[in-house]
Amino acid sequence: MALGRFLLKRGIQGVLVVWGVVTAVFLLRFITPGNPVTFVAPLDASAELRAQIAAELGLDQPLYVQYAEYILGLLQGNMGFSYLRGTEASTVVFARVPATVELAVAATVVAVVIAIPLGVISATRRREPADYGATLFSLVGISTPNFWLGIMLILVLSVQFDLFPTSRRPIGFVETFAFLVTFENGISVPMDVGAFLDGLRTWLWHIALPAVTLGTYFTALITRLTRSGMIEELGQPYVRAARAKGLPESLIQYKHALQNTLIPIVTVLGLQLGTLIGGAVITESVFSWPGLGTLVINSINVRDWPLIQGSLIVIGTGFVLINIFVDALYAYLNPRVAR
Amino acid sequence: MTDLLRVRDLSTRFFTEEGQINAVEGVSFTVEAGSVLGVVGESGSGKSVTGLSLIDLVESPGAITGGEIWYNNPDLAERVAADQPAAVDGDFVDLRRLSEAERRSLRGSAFSMIFQDPMSSFNPALTVGEQIAEAAEVQRRASANPRSTRARTQGYGLGRLLLDSVLPDRSYTTEESWDRAVELLERVGIPDPAERAEEYPHQFSGGMLQRAMIAQALAGDPDLLVADEPTTALDVTIQAQILDLLADLQETLDMSVVLITHNLGVIARVADRVSVMYAGEVVERGTLEDVFDDPVHPYTKGLLGSVPDIDRPGDRLEPIAGNVPDLVDANMPDRCYFADRCPKAMTDCLTRPPEYEVGDGHRARCVLAERDYSEADAVPEGRLARPADAARGASDDPTPTTEESDD
Amino acid sequence: MIAPRTRRNLRSELSRSLLAKLGIAIVVVIIVTALFAPLLAPHDPEDQNLDNANIPPIGFTATENQTSTEMVDGEVQIVEEEVVVNTTAEHPLGTDSLGRDVLSRTMFGARTSLLVGLFGTAIAVVLGVTVGITAGYYGGRIDDALMRFADVMLAFPSLVLAIALIGLWGQASLRIPDPLVATGIAPETMPGDIVLPGTVIVVVALVNWVWFARVARGEALSVRDQEYVKAARSMGGSDLHIILRHVLPNSLTPILVLATIQIAAIILLESALSFLGFSGAQLSWGFDIAQGRQYLSSSWWIATVPGLAIVAAVVGINLIGDWLRDALDPDIEGQGGAP
Repeated sequence: MALGRFLLKRGIQGVLVVWGVVTAVFLLRFITPGNPVTFVAPLDASAELRAQIAAELGLDQPLYVQYAEYILGLLQGNMGFSYLRGTEASTVVFARVPATVELAVAATVVAVVIAIPLGVISATRRREPADYGATLFSLVGISTPNFWLGIMLILVLSVQFDLFPTSRRPIGFVETFAFLVTFENGISVPMDVGAFLDGLRTWLWHIALPAVTLGTYFTALITRLTRSGMIEELGQPYVRAARAKGLPESLIQYKHALQNTLIPIVTVLGLQLGTLIGGAVITESVFSWPGLGTLVINSINVRDWPLIQGSLIVIGTGFVLINIFVDALYAYLNPRVAR
Repeated sequence: MTDLLRVRDLSTRFFTEEGQINAVEGVSFTVEAGSVLGVVGESGSGKSVTGLSLIDLVESPGAITGGEIWYNNPDLAERVAADQPAAVDGDFVDLRRLSEAERRSLRGSAFSMIFQDPMSSFNPALTVGEQIAEAAEVQRRASANPRSTRARTQGYGLGRLLLDSVLPDRSYTTEESWDRAVELLERVGIPDPAERAEEYPHQFSGGMLQRAMIAQALAGDPDLLVADEPTTALDVTIQAQILDLLADLQETLDMSVVLITHNLGVIARVADRVSVMYAGEVVERGTLEDVFDDPVHPYTKGLLGSVPDIDRPGDRLEPIAGNVPDLVDANMPDRCYFADRCPKAMTDCLTRPPEYEVGDGHRARCVLAERDYSEADAVPEGRLARPADAARGASDDPTPTTEESDD
Repeated sequence: MIAPRTRRNLRSELSRSLLAKLGIAIVVVIIVTALFAPLLAPHDPEDQNLDNANIPPIGFTATENQTSTEMVDGEVQIVEEEVVVNTTAEHPLGTDSLGRDVLSRTMFGARTSLLVGLFGTAIAVVLGVTVGITAGYYGGRIDDALMRFADVMLAFPSLVLAIALIGLWGQASLRIPDPLVATGIAPETMPGDIVLPGTVIVVVALVNWVWFARVARGEALSVRDQEYVKAARSMGGSDLHIILRHVLPNSLTPILVLATIQIAAIILLESALSFLGFSGAQLSWGFDIAQGRQYLSSSWWIATVPGLAIVAAVVGINLIGDWLRDALDPDIEGQGGAP
């Protein structure tokens, strides 16, 4: 099927890009001033420990050998050892992934659910109060710095009215299901629905503000795009032909105009994913949300090299995967591409 | 021959930033049941807007501002007479006095329209079959629930859209309407209709897609089909095929057709009656023979004279000097609109001419219907300058712009 | 350079749009503030005065929860609260925790944002257009190589890449003597130097040039295949001549529209970097917001005011961007982004 072949092609491209990412991250060390050993070793390391680390890092080997070992290690899931934390880097990095994924997904859901109807209403009720309100909101929304919005939300909703917590993530989304089913030592089904719902509520309560903060820029952007896209689509000749058929107006708006509007929006979203992930880093920082973003910042600040490399690679790879997914989505929606 | 549609004094205006544009002014004509009316004129004559006005598809910033459109439908007349006796005259209903919802329910069922460029009249993201099935579905729901306008205008929001894309069985169209779509495709002469219905518009050739558009227009068994330049975007050989198809369908289905075109050859081929439009007005109307063999209005004569005759290849063509006026209300003169291009303009022409009767059913908006041209009464040079032209010098594109501006 | 028709479009769109005028007004205010900050600011932004710490904006009250004990009638009584009201215009927007005037700091902050925004965009434009035109015009392997490289660069969300680069390269800034202070036009108490955060400017340019490269490449590709180019070459026109004469003028419009979007994005990026502590500039809106974050419950204005400034500035720039896009080329929406 054409779609399968398309995915295959993009998949291969993706692998190449990931390889480029990995190489770039590897080379990053060589354009950074300083001795790698000082990056990896704890501050109070003894001379013997430093020498041992230097040997382990293979610093005495030629460049290509170091590179080959590095790649080989990655393929086995080995990102090196974080001396500062005393654990395998991969453990730390992958432990952080769910938190960031939750945040990104929650923000996207918030954005899509609010923005698309808002954009449609704005486009179909032009020059009415609803339109002006939506336009104002979306203009301010793309102009507001993410971190400041988060702080303001904390100020009003947490500090003043104590409605939401200010930070941390006591329980993860997937973890709540552990109250229903666990897989250790075979499948056991405790089915503690009460605890499950409690856990879910806690999770929701803690992710609410971060998700809204991160999602605002996207909401504003999608509202704008939906609005302008709908206006353009509704002016197309096929809309007039659809009206001539006697189709109900709402059917025309949603099934015809909106569907065609969403196609280019998907492309733009793909381009803006970098913004989402960058925004996630900031949002995590503001809310002390334990994700990849805070990991990157912390590890850069303390120069924990294996963690820096590990988290950058995971972020880059994840980004490539999401882009492929977006491209596939676009091909699926737009019949002229895939079929 | 009964009349299907009687249009009386129809006016449609566009209210734009440049001013008010009188696209259609005081237009009257009659469409007989089961016959073809050709509406002919240059671009900017108002013929397309007239067609749109018939089925209430004029969009902002335009609106129908006056006149009546009497539609012959005894059942409808009976239903409407109870609430609005003023809108009914015997078996005829004045469409303009119906509610918006009622007019919308007539679209697709009583009246249909096909457009010039089939490729841009279909949604590129849906299959052709799906779109024709939609048309059929609207009609199916309407006849299943004749009383309820709600069933026809059934709410379709974001939720339904998401559901439809995830669960394909729940789409708006049904198996029944799909079958009807395939049946219609076959009727218009598309081979392998079942397979082609699953294809997308860009996979069709221009001629095939125009047939599909006709199929779509037939879904509701319309009484009247408005065809706006249906052959202009097609190759000459395909044009003939489409016209033959239209003629054939029109006969077998006993459907009336309003065929809008600038091409006299097309008119000559299929029309029973003709209305000639200029600057938003009907300047001459009658049967095909009346207008082609015995034209009265100098514009009609000019049009006929500018068509090359294949039997007389050596003849000189006689174009009409000048350009069409721009239809902006402030610039329209208070006289016969054609006078400044007319070789036979007289002082009588300095007032707005009414429609004169030339013969039985043959009318012309020109004083030459009643008297002959005489040199003595000719209008002196310079009296006929258009106020806007005098200021501008060159003439601009007369087609009214209807694009909305974004904030 | 700009075609007469384009100028007319710009003017007519401007006269029709209230929002465009508003955008220009806002941006002009910000530029003037940035240029003449030493003259306009009521105080030295770096002047610390602990006696004046935490004064709220004019008309607002702040409660200082100071508890002191007093002996009253033999019993220890706890005397709380000292309500502070700002009634003078001395510090119209209050002071921060070190007694520095918030209004003055915000005015000087405009400098940093504008400097980084303008210089960063300028470098990104030069770099991006050069690479893009080269890739598009010469095509073939050069094009492939350059575009692969761009893909890898785009594989990193811009903020993450910026953090990584600044974190690892350090923060270097350039100090230029402020002409207004040096010539004595402005009071001597004002800071004598303009701080140019060099690393930040370079880094934001590095993460943003790709958008310009893509646009320039597109233009080069479409021009290259035109008949008149083949004609020019056959008459001996050099490549450089063709590029200067044909490719560049055509690219001007989309590049200009993109540049406005990018300036806004870079300002947001810079403030995010300052917020996270990755910028060499002390007088920056983002930096102030980070400072104010700790005092959210008591001195909320410290974080609020700079944020409002950012929103205003970016709204203004976006309005100008909308004006340009509506007047010149409606197809550019959605390229580039902001964290």
